[in-house]
Amino acid sequence: MNTTINNKEITSNNGLIATYLIVGGVIIGIMMIFGILMLLAQGGVLDFSPAAFYQFLTIHGTGMVGAAALAAAGVMWYFLSHYVELSKKVFKINLLLSIIGVVMVIIGVFSFKYASAWTFLYPLPALSGGAWGTTGALLYLIGMLILGVGFLLLYIDTGRAIIKKHGSLGKGLGWDVISGKRAEKDAPSPTVVASTMVTIVNTTALTAGAIVLIMNIINVINPAFTFDPLLAKNLTFAFGHIFANSIIYMGVIVVYEILPRYTNRPWKSNRPFLIAWTMSTAFTLVIYTHHMLMDSVMPKWMLIMGQVLSYANGLPVLVVTAYGALMIVYKSGIKWDMASGLAFMSMFGWVVGVVPAIVDATIVVNHVMHNTKWVPGHFHMYMGLGAAVMLFSFIYYLSKVDSDLKPNGLDKFGFVIYALGMISVSVGFLISGALSTPRRWATHFPEWMAPAVFGAIGGVLAVLALTIFIIHFIRYVQVRGKTGSDMNEKKLA
Amino acid sequence: MKQAILGIILYGILCIPPLTNYMESIMIVHMLIQLPLLILVGWLIGKPILRKFQHFFANWNTNGVPGIILFIFITMYWMLPRAIDEAVSEWYIELFKFIGLPIIGLCIRDSWSKIQTLGRSFIFLNYLPMFGLMAWLYIDSPIQICNNYLESQQKVLGWGFLVITIWMVLYVIQAVFTDQSDHNTKKSTGT
Repeated sequence: MNTTINNKEITSNNGLIATYLIVGGVIIGIMMIFGILMLLAQGGVLDFSPAAFYQFLTIHGTGMVGAAALAAAGVMWYFLSHYVELSKKVFKINLLLSIIGVVMVIIGVFSFKYASAWTFLYPLPALSGGAWGTTGALLYLIGMLILGVGFLLLYIDTGRAIIKKHGSLGKGLGWDVISGKRAEKDAPSPTVVASTMVTIVNTTALTAGAIVLIMNIINVINPAFTFDPLLAKNLTFAFGHIFANSIIYMGVIVVYEILPRYTNRPWKSNRPFLIAWTMSTAFTLVIYTHHMLMDSVMPKWMLIMGQVLSYANGLPVLVVTAYGALMIVYKSGIKWDMASGLAFMSMFGWVVGVVPAIVDATIVVNHVMHNTKWVPGHFHMYMGLGAAVMLFSFIYYLSKVDSDLKPNGLDKFGFVIYALGMISVSVGFLISGALSTPRRWATHFPEWMAPAVFGAIGGVLAVLALTIFIIHFIRYVQVRGKTGSDMNEKKLA
Repeated sequence: MKQAILGIILYGILCIPPLTNYMESIMIVHMLIQLPLLILVGWLIGKPILRKFQHFFANWNTNGVPGIILFIFITMYWMLPRAIDEAVSEWYIELFKFIGLPIIGLCIRDSWSKIQTLGRSFIFLNYLPMFGLMAWLYIDSPIQICNNYLESQQKVLGWGFLVITIWMVLYVIQAVFTDQSDHNTKKSTGT
């Protein structure tokens, strides 16, 4: 079942993959700088207008998720193309549309002062109180729509390729193995399983997103057309939660692919693994309601579902992956380097980062904590120390197998300061949350300022580390194809 | 040829003034029955036309994309409340409807077989949220959108769109979760 596609063909795609990673990495770096600026403003170190703060907040949230999703899609595409035949043309179109979308969003935010935060929560795009006008809102919303079209095309292609190879998306998730119709040894690879899950959830998310984006566009053009705000909020979070969440499910493919190569032990798709992924597929689609636990007008059963399934969602895949990662490494004699080290660190970030989320998904806690900086504490740890680190791991992996470039002491220094930096950022937010500091506020009381400054210092360390990672990757792109390109997929153990 | 005759008969029936007036007097029938039937007319009579003008369609609709784009633009136009409102009030919009929709029916017949699975899925997944949005718009609109139709008719139309959207979602689910291996094998062996 796990047929490997021609290696030469894969190597020829590395340039495009590298472009995805560089575009994603550079945008993440710039967004980190906006994050630091916001923390410094909240910490009383910098002084800029609240309007500028909310513009930074909008671009930071949108840009981080968009760029990380783009880079993660590149990673997923790279490994999935080992197993199924994907369209390079579609992959290029997605990159192009993403860049067009990002440029439109940037112009909307900075030239036309659009500042609704990534949530573009209806009817805010049309009711700015004079902070921004129609053009800014339209540029942002249409930019997001174009981004979505690119990703939709990409996931249609991954779905098409998986169905062509395995017969159906159900088989891509290994349902025939779960039901006993097929032997475990013939199960789809973990990469195919994860990609199938992402294809399903993100196609759904993008469809929901398209509806709410166009609805907002109609409302911005003609405010006489009004809609049900609660339904709009449901669709917005069905889109945003799933899409952002899927980044880690694309990124984790790095762990499934890299650690087996380093340890010479296969990562098998056994029945518990497949069941866990199926559970996460179903739950990821419906748990967005944990973003709405404070909306008292929501049906009660949906809120209870949001709490219960949030507990159930993260754990299955997390447990099988974290346990699998520990088992595959245990007594394997693995040679630690940047790629394997970062892959392992990402598991730590994922495991630790999910804990504050599960705490916040508890209704009684949520009523107190959800509008505090506790929540950014969760997702900075989850994304910054989990998902993003998976992408950085891939950067070092690709440069190792596709060139003779070797990481140096500076890269190791980057590893350490990134870990310290992101832990500081996350802990700063969590402490702020524990102090009941509200989130999304441009200015803070003096009592709230210290953790913000602490987080900003952590952010500086993270930016430095990311710069080191990107420099390494750019050096790889320069030597790629000149030295050791034939080493693609060589043994790493 | 049988299909073409059926198409001509259907077109003739749809053109009968009392029937046209009746269909257009009910918003949901106008939007979700008359308009699709006019597209179906084009699709039915398309076979002999496509054969006769094979060279023209091969030149102007080589990969099916131009035909699909025309189809999308015209169907999107007819989803606008104002379009159906004007079709009732203005004779030239009505004429455009009776000519334009059969033409795009012809286009979709030519294009659908030419565009690949990716293109078909993309078109389908674009119409899905579009119909969902129209359902929302017509059900939720607090104002009367058309001069010729009451607010209550708008809501009925919205529910009609919602039923279509649900049907489309169910179709996608069955298409991606049922085994396509046999289908793929048959396709590749040409059987």
